[in-house]
Amino acid sequence: MGNSLLNSQGLTVKFGGLTALSDLNFSLEKGELLGLIGPNGSGKTTCFNTITGIYRQAAGTTSLLGKDITGFTPQQIYKCGITRTFQRLRLAVALSVFDNLLIGDSSSLNTNLFFNLFQRSKLKQEIEKKINKVKKIISVFNPALVDKLYEPVSKLSMIDRRRIEVCRALISDPKVLLLDEPSAGMTQEETRDFMNDLHEIKTKSPDLGIILIEHEMNVIESVTDRCIVLSYGKKISEGSFKDVSRNPSVRTAYLGED
Amino acid sequence: MRNVILRVKERFVSISVIFVTAIFLTVFLLVEDELSFTVLMLVGGGLFYFVKRRDCFKEVIVFARQSRYGFLICIFLALLTVLIILRNEHFALFMIASVALYSTVCFGLTIQLGYAGLTNFAGAAFFGVGGYAIAVLSSENFPDILSVLTGGFMAALVGSVLILPILRTRGHYAALVTIAFALLFKTFLELNDTLGGPQGLKISSMNMFGWDFGKSFFGGSFYLNYVLFSLLVMVSIFTLTRLLEKSWIGLHWDALRIDEISSASFGINISSWKILAFTLGNFFIGLSGALYAKMLGHIAPTNFTFGDSLILISIVILGGIGNPWGVIPAAFLIIVLPEKLQFIQEYRLLLFALLVILVLLYRPDGLFKKALRSFYRGWGKV
Amino acid sequence: MLLGSLDQYLINGLVLGVIYAMVAVGFTLFFGVLNVIKFSHGDVLMAGAFAALIAYISLQNFVSISIWMMVVITTTFAFAAMALFGAIVARFLVLPLRGAPPLNTLLITLMLGLAVREAVRLFYPNGSNPKPFPKLLPDTDIFIFGLEIRHDSLIIIFGGLAAICFLHLLIKKTRLGLSIQAVAQDSETARLMGINFQKIVLGTFALGSGLAALAGVLNGLYYNEINFSMGLLLGVVGFSSAVVGGLGSILGAIIGGFLFALLQTIGAIWFEVPAYKDVFAFVVIIAVMAWRPTGLLAETKSDRV
Ligand SMILES: Nc1ncnc2c1ncn2[C@@H]1O[C@H](COP(=O)(O)OP(=O)(O)OP(=O)(O)O)[C@@H](O)[C@H]1O
Ligand SMILES: [Mg+2]
Repeated sequence: MGNSLLNSQGLTVKFGGLTALSDLNFSLEKGELLGLIGPNGSGKTTCFNTITGIYRQAAGTTSLLGKDITGFTPQQIYKCGITRTFQRLRLAVALSVFDNLLIGDSSSLNTNLFFNLFQRSKLKQEIEKKINKVKKIISVFNPALVDKLYEPVSKLSMIDRRRIEVCRALISDPKVLLLDEPSAGMTQEETRDFMNDLHEIKTKSPDLGIILIEHEMNVIESVTDRCIVLSYGKKISEGSFKDVSRNPSVRTAYLGED
Repeated sequence: MRNVILRVKERFVSISVIFVTAIFLTVFLLVEDELSFTVLMLVGGGLFYFVKRRDCFKEVIVFARQSRYGFLICIFLALLTVLIILRNEHFALFMIASVALYSTVCFGLTIQLGYAGLTNFAGAAFFGVGGYAIAVLSSENFPDILSVLTGGFMAALVGSVLILPILRTRGHYAALVTIAFALLFKTFLELNDTLGGPQGLKISSMNMFGWDFGKSFFGGSFYLNYVLFSLLVMVSIFTLTRLLEKSWIGLHWDALRIDEISSASFGINISSWKILAFTLGNFFIGLSGALYAKMLGHIAPTNFTFGDSLILISIVILGGIGNPWGVIPAAFLIIVLPEKLQFIQEYRLLLFALLVILVLLYRPDGLFKKALRSFYRGWGKV
Repeated sequence: MLLGSLDQYLINGLVLGVIYAMVAVGFTLFFGVLNVIKFSHGDVLMAGAFAALIAYISLQNFVSISIWMMVVITTTFAFAAMALFGAIVARFLVLPLRGAPPLNTLLITLMLGLAVREAVRLFYPNGSNPKPFPKLLPDTDIFIFGLEIRHDSLIIIFGGLAAICFLHLLIKKTRLGLSIQAVAQDSETARLMGINFQKIVLGTFALGSGLAALAGVLNGLYYNEINFSMGLLLGVVGFSSAVVGGLGSILGAIIGGFLFALLQTIGAIWFEVPAYKDVFAFVVIIAVMAWRPTGLLAETKSDRV
């Protein structure tokens, strides 16, 4: 337990009378890909929002590599090395692809006022370095995107936008990556490509732990090492996809009462 | 030499557009009766249509992109021509200096509203803080150049009182805080006897390193001093504003303006960036307020009403929120037009309000759409 | 340093509180259904008072009717005119900007307020000067619990409270009110359930603006004077009250309104310079806002991410 990457104990979140998460325990190991599944409204996104400090938990603790990060601000959590994507994309569509990706790497940028205003040639060098870094990352997902670096995100297709979101979360070289339905709106073929890209990411950074929220069960089956099933904010099952999918209570949660 | 002549030939269209615009503006500033003004507007409209039809504006932009120094020299010469023609026209020169200073104020507002998304509806109040600061200091025998800077610092300082509630409250409550401040500021001035009450204060003219702004400038109007200095200030602050935009700082501001939650999730410290934008913006506003008060020679609470703050915001919206380029023509339009058309003077607030409503409905990008950020020249070219 | 007796301060505070509460309720309603802040609200109040004045002047010249009829007719006219205006504003200025950044809605209503203010100043005969508002209510004194109260103050307080209660019932009990609540809860779902979203928004804006007009009339009846710029401060006061109470909560808006009036009254008793009472009230209110950004009543709600 001491050396698990991310560990949450007793996580509980309430919205007024609604308990969106209740007493959730889970842990994520280094290099593991954990699937988080459950019917609509079961609290998956809420779980991400709580880990990243956007929502406040009513109870429970979260720790990263043994360090307690409960109650940290989103900024602090990012600096500890947890990044995420959003279910409903939150890109700045009016800005260029480059700008959007650099937002993901904001803590590595030199924001000194004097440097930014008057040391422009040094700034230019820094920018050129960043361009190379950005190009390397997006070419993993879609080499064609390299040419669109200077275009506004609003001109990109939905798929490419999702890719940019994932790249934005990856560019700061995080320890934990939280993916909230990254394949939503993709065709089956695109989803397959996307999952191949994920594999590539994993081989490149073997220590990265990923939690994936996903509705496509064949995706979950093919990529995850382990799954957690939520229903009405409670964990109802945990284990490999095979075990989980055989669990009768999971079937009930997905299919309704009978 | 031949090279230069060739270049000039190639740029003939752009250069003539720049000079024709300059001459047109000169005549615009000189014309007094309404008949000639109407004729001038018709001629101007025709010229604009002609130039636009032939895509000459695009050529000017290409010119500016391809040979920056040539373009700047050209603008400089055009400006020089205008100033030489107008050297004895007090009012026209006063107008030019006002446009320059109001533009500078709006660069400050652009940083706040356009970059960081902070709604500051007390622009005129911060403008007034700068003015009052210099009015108090100029009776104290304080060096003028320092007083102008102090005007900026005072505005930033007064702004820092508002910053806590602005940061703590969510969404657009900042608007409420600044409006309340704008309304109370005027009351405060009117009640304060040391600041001259409703009558205000007189201010001595500017004198800097032996450069006496009250004296005629090489035989021309004394306003030329103010025009030159204001233009200098405007260009410097414009450059700073643009440099901020084209740096990591501008990127951070854009990110948090567009989406605070995702910015926070990527480590951006929302509060400190807002503080920077608010303080810097108020500094620029106060600085120009100080200069403006110096030029005016007196200062009174009526110059700093909530309505004046709304005029400043109108300039920013009209120019295109977040686009400092658009601010200058918009300021020219909003400041000079009512002076030229006396019959709209009385109706100007109503007309501007309606104009801004139409702009927001049908052309929310203003006169000029803000372009994508380019960090340096040649950005995006492979 | 007391300029009047304590009961006068009390009554005055109550009257102001009712008027502020009526304005604040409007802000809360608009925010509830559409998540927008309508900065022209104070100027709608002013325009409502002027509409009543116009109705009074035209009626006075043509027909002779009893004074109570006069109150009813002018008030109804002001209410109807502003309700219509509110619906028009919602239809043509606010709804078209739904897709745009919220900043644009704020700016457009701010500019609309300026336009309304300027229009009254320019086009109402001699509009830049204060206008006398007719004394329609009896100003004889009565004694209640040993307090000396003028009849008109009493009528204003109870009239305002009645309007707010009526609105509250409307929202809690009628179909329209239930739809408004549904839209405020979750506009997407409400739309899916077949509620005509645009109709509800227009209805809400009409209702809120009408209420502001009533507040304007009451304000005129109380001070017997109105002017073109009176809405500016009242709008900001109403907005702050709504925010302090917790935007979106009607009860919060009412409490906020009375709180603001209370602060002003304390300020008036405390300071010699009358204008400082506003400074005092705003400073306290803004401090409260900084202390509890979501308001005193509203539960701390996190935006859906
Ligand atoms: N900010 C909020 N305020 C109030 N209720 C919320 C908020 N966020 C989520 N909820 C509620 O919490 C519950 C869990 O929502 P959540 O978004 O976590 O579900 P989910 O598992 O991600 O579902 P989906 O598969 O549809 O994305 C839902 O009932 C939702 O309505
Ligand atoms: Mg979800």
